Amino acid sequence: MTRDWWKHLILILGVIVVIAPFYMMVSYSFKSPGEIDRGEGGFFGRQEMMVDERCVKLRDPSRDDIAAAMDRFPGQTDAAIRTALVAEAEADCSMRPVVFNYSKAFTEAPLLRYLLNGVIVTASIFLIQVVVALPAAYALAKLKFWGRETVFGLVLFCLLIPVHAIALPLYIMLTKLGLTNSYAALVVPWTISVFGIFLMRQFFMTVPDDLIDAARMDGMSELAIVWRVMLPTAVPALMAFAIFSVVAHWNDYFWPRIVISGNRDLFTPPLGLREFKGDADGSFFGPMMATATVIVTPLIVAFLIAQKRFIEGITLSGMK
Amino acid sequence: MALAETTLPKPTASAASQERRAAWFLTAPALALMVLILLVPVVIAGVLSFTNYSLGNSGFDWVGIKNYDRLFTRSTYEKMFIATFTYVVTVVPISVGLGLGAALLINSLGRFREIYKTIYFLPVMATLLAMAIAWEFMLHPTIGMVNRTLEMGCGTFVESLWPFMAESCAGRFPVWLGDKRYAIWVISFIGIWQGFGFNMVLYLAGLTSVHRELYHAAEMDGAKSAWERFRLVTWPALGPTTVFVVTISCIRAFQVFDTIEAFWPQGGGPNKSTYVMMFAIFEKGVQQNLIGIGSAITMLFLVFVMFLTLIQRWLVERKVHYG
Repeated sequence: MTRDWWKHLILILGVIVVIAPFYMMVSYSFKSPGEIDRGEGGFFGRQEMMVDERCVKLRDPSRDDIAAAMDRFPGQTDAAIRTALVAEAEADCSMRPVVFNYSKAFTEAPLLRYLLNGVIVTASIFLIQVVVALPAAYALAKLKFWGRETVFGLVLFCLLIPVHAIALPLYIMLTKLGLTNSYAALVVPWTISVFGIFLMRQFFMTVPDDLIDAARMDGMSELAIVWRVMLPTAVPALMAFAIFSVVAHWNDYFWPRIVISGNRDLFTPPLGLREFKGDADGSFFGPMMATATVIVTPLIVAFLIAQKRFIEGITLSGMK
Repeated sequence: MALAETTLPKPTASAASQERRAAWFLTAPALALMVLILLVPVVIAGVLSFTNYSLGNSGFDWVGIKNYDRLFTRSTYEKMFIATFTYVVTVVPISVGLGLGAALLINSLGRFREIYKTIYFLPVMATLLAMAIAWEFMLHPTIGMVNRTLEMGCGTFVESLWPFMAESCAGRFPVWLGDKRYAIWVISFIGIWQGFGFNMVLYLAGLTSVHRELYHAAEMDGAKSAWERFRLVTWPALGPTTVFVVTISCIRAFQVFDTIEAFWPQGGGPNKSTYVMMFAIFEKGVQQNLIGIGSAITMLFLVFVMFLTLIQRWLVERKVHYG
């Protein structure tokens, strides 16, 4: 330990740089605009009551409001009633900065909807990838058929093509089909995972043939063998692939940015955050960072809970 | 179905044909999607790169190699190549080097290994777009944490050691993202920040496969210093990992987009200094509907990426590992 002090020193410096933006993101999501501007308040901010200016402005008393409030403030002038009403509005509109930031994050934009879209898209992508890739991987690993080498060669060739790189022709095809601005556009290009086929094939190669022969003896069809015999053996590999797939598509920004324009109902979390940034003025740093925190948190928490599996899943591609 | 087959006169032949049919039935969906989603688009991009097509027009003209000619003569695209290659050439070696360094340091520790590993891996997991926005605040010229931290160094010995500090303290600190001298380096820095933990984890996995006996053998042969042991044993044993890490870092670096679009939605940075290829494809092809030129960039991009992967496969076939 003592002779390792210099190693810890270097590593801790690294930790500071790595953590800094996370620290700032979470810290800003707690602070009031004033504290952010002046750089005060430590990590949590002072959490003094603050007044939401926009909320007050919205409740700016009109002539009718003043007339309606006449009986509550008997015998007072209009101006005095107005001041009293504004004071009331200010009292109602004041809250702790942390509450302000997070409530704004969810009310200024339909953040829950974005999160739901993220879940729908990542889940559909993963499920379809498995339904398509698993049978193919089984056939390539365990069945003898003419053309097998060619098909596998094609898989190896397709591994060379990153889907992001061919985004433009895919976008043209989807436009021609009238599919842009739909869930289909977000999911379709990712339905085929050549990497998934390759990975599961490698895994299925290690499954003993006896297991499959026994299933055939029992009269199982090949498709039933895939789902009832091979799938259960492949759960660990599939878990790793699930993490790989979900992380990639939850975080993906490039593809949704291309095929979704304008229709907020289809925004994935990164798109929602981007739009938030687009219309935000300076005083909205807090809510924006709250949004960012909300979007980043699910994966980070899952990662902290199941670190080993995550690292396995993400680095999967390196373990051929 | 399988039972019915056994009643047929030539069970072996029919079993084989049955197996063949099942195999095609099982691979057909994957095969169809592979062709439709991966191969057809490449062909489409290839064809359209020789046209002046744009969405909404009924027809198009063949323009020969005009689109490619433009890519190699216009100064905008020269800036695109410079930005892309500067980014790749900066990010790949540094993120691989830091990944290896961190892996070696962490691997040699007795305690706290898991904590470092977890923290360094965080940026890999986090949504890059969200972190880009966080970095944008960090780099804010007046209220950002970076310049505030640097300002603390003003009036101390740091000023005399580091000319940059002396200059900045006398005048003002850089506006980082708005300055064409710094923009591409800031982007590269974020790329490294995000990616080196991934490389570290791959190297840590690689290190577990280096046999202890090799170190003993090297020591017997007179490799006394840590550097000698690294040079003679660790580095060669990590050969396959390095090939893989470098290739995947390159491919990821080529695809940089999120940070650039987040910082400069229009135009690709100050003086187009961060106008990378993915952003160019997006801007030309999708936003400006210049499909021809966008397709030409796409084709060039594919050539780069395929070339890199083929080099990697070739190196792996040659069995770079001596371990």
